[in-house]
Amino acid sequence: MSSGPAEIFDLGYHGYEGERTGRWSRRRAIWRDGVRIALGLGRGASAKIAPWLLIGIALVPAVVIVVIAAFVGTATAGDDSGIDIPSYAEYYNFAIAPLSLFAAIVAPNLTCSDRRDGVLALYAARPISPLDYVASRWAAFLSVALTVAWAPEVVLFVWNALDARNTGTWLTDNWDILPRSLLAAVVLAASLTTLALLAASFTNRRAYAAIGMLAAFFIGSAVGHIAERDFSGRVSDVLSLVGLPRVILATVHWIFADPLDNPPPLSGAVNALWLAALTVALAGWLLVRTRRALQS
Amino acid sequence: MALVAVRGVTKSYGSVRALDDVSFEIGEGITGLLGSNGAGKTTTLRLCIGLIDPDAGSVVVLGRDTRVSPEYRTRIGYAPEHDCLPRSVPAAEFLAYMGEVSGLPRTAARLRASDLLRHVGLFEERYRPIGTYSTGMKQRVKLAQALVHDPAIAFLDEPTAGLDPLGRREMLELISRVGSEFGVSIVISTHLMGDVERTCDAVVVLDAGSVLRTGAVSGLTEETETILVDLVDGAPELAGELHRRGMAADLDGSRITLTQVSGPDYDTLRDAIVASGAVLYRLAPERHSLADVFAPVSSAGDAAETAEATS
Repeated sequence: MSSGPAEIFDLGYHGYEGERTGRWSRRRAIWRDGVRIALGLGRGASAKIAPWLLIGIALVPAVVIVVIAAFVGTATAGDDSGIDIPSYAEYYNFAIAPLSLFAAIVAPNLTCSDRRDGVLALYAARPISPLDYVASRWAAFLSVALTVAWAPEVVLFVWNALDARNTGTWLTDNWDILPRSLLAAVVLAASLTTLALLAASFTNRRAYAAIGMLAAFFIGSAVGHIAERDFSGRVSDVLSLVGLPRVILATVHWIFADPLDNPPPLSGAVNALWLAALTVALAGWLLVRTRRALQS
Repeated sequence: MALVAVRGVTKSYGSVRALDDVSFEIGEGITGLLGSNGAGKTTTLRLCIGLIDPDAGSVVVLGRDTRVSPEYRTRIGYAPEHDCLPRSVPAAEFLAYMGEVSGLPRTAARLRASDLLRHVGLFEERYRPIGTYSTGMKQRVKLAQALVHDPAIAFLDEPTAGLDPLGRREMLELISRVGSEFGVSIVISTHLMGDVERTCDAVVVLDAGSVLRTGAVSGLTEETETILVDLVDGAPELAGELHRRGMAADLDGSRITLTQVSGPDYDTLRDAIVASGAVLYRLAPERHSLADVFAPVSSAGDAAETAEATS
């Protein structure tokens, strides 16, 4: 028998008298939950399959580039080394398709289930505003998408730095690649996140949201392509802005000061401005729709 | 001090007026918001948690106007009538998360989540996904998430909806415990008279967007107290004696029914029995239910209650 001192535990209800956190902590909690949903963490195995499979697919272009570079021994992306390895900007020409697929399929998980299961009613009764909720969810998926979009560029950058004859000199000459690639990844992630969450705000079914976003991408691209081919002047210029993937790539290449091989009619700066305005407008629309859903 | 003060509130949805110049106050304890479907209960709850703003008037909860800032919601809880729980998340994780979103530090939220689930009887099942729970267990999780951040007042919308008679009784007992032991004031929106009578200290009766009556449940039922007097012999004589002494007495065979009886009437009744020589068999108060008080309002609720009780 135990000879230790006896203890009496009060198992009755205890109120909470400790500190209460502020609004930023509550936003951080929603953000953290969003990241966990996006990656399927804390959920069953089935919730992990889609995100990790798509992350794997999104990283394929980077893996291929690094493997090619390793085999040829000159991973000097964008350099005139004789080997035609894609530049940092050109990497996104390959990565935009799997990244779009990743956003279209995974981002709706963050909001569709809240609406479908009725959890929005509980958020509505919490000390947060609709902006807190949607901005935190948006930031959560942005964080994941940004990581997936930027990590390969960082890996490529580090590989090239280590592979250079003089790493110090290489870094001095090419340091600007890092902030440019970060900005490009932010542009890509922000636009894809906004569009995917907006598509998700129209339905409780994740599949419909994914189809909606991809349809917007494909139809826009088709319209832009036809406009460039069959029209000229202002009509062609304006309609080319409907093709969102091309607008995103034009902006990315403009950030790297590395023009597309087949540039759109309008300059990279105009495409960048249009993309920024469109993303802000779509984000505003997303907020309006979220506010309405929370109050219904 | 009133925890909730609704002052001259009007709220319309298009051409439909859900609340029409409604005013009442809710104090500490358990209060029932009673009314049939469409009476304005859910609109009142939505106003109290700041989901919607009134067209006119004001709603003040815990001393704060609900239109000013959502910060007062750190001290209120809410459990809606409909499903509101994620299916794939364990209850412990969900409650801890809701605690954090309500303003608790992470560690405290986790501790309180487990504690609350123990209090509602789900400690063993706390790591199971909520989707695997029964209806009764989900109602308990709904209650627990409304309490996880230790609110001063919790609003529960139809907390016994969908429960079988046993589950309903257990839920009402749990709510009574929350009110008495946890020290959390509760507002229950319900159309079930029985729920109010079993659990509530006070009641606000709504009918077609207006307040029909407010007050303590015991007070309202006292007002309608009826005395049943069963006699072995001398019933007509006693009825006549009571009429002579100014009391309204309904004679039905050997039974006399006295309505609207107050304290002094008991002395009059005693004296009348002695004077008439009637032989008394039984004298008992018949306490009317709220259903009798609010018969027009409750007809729909009674039907639903009967349906639920027999299901």
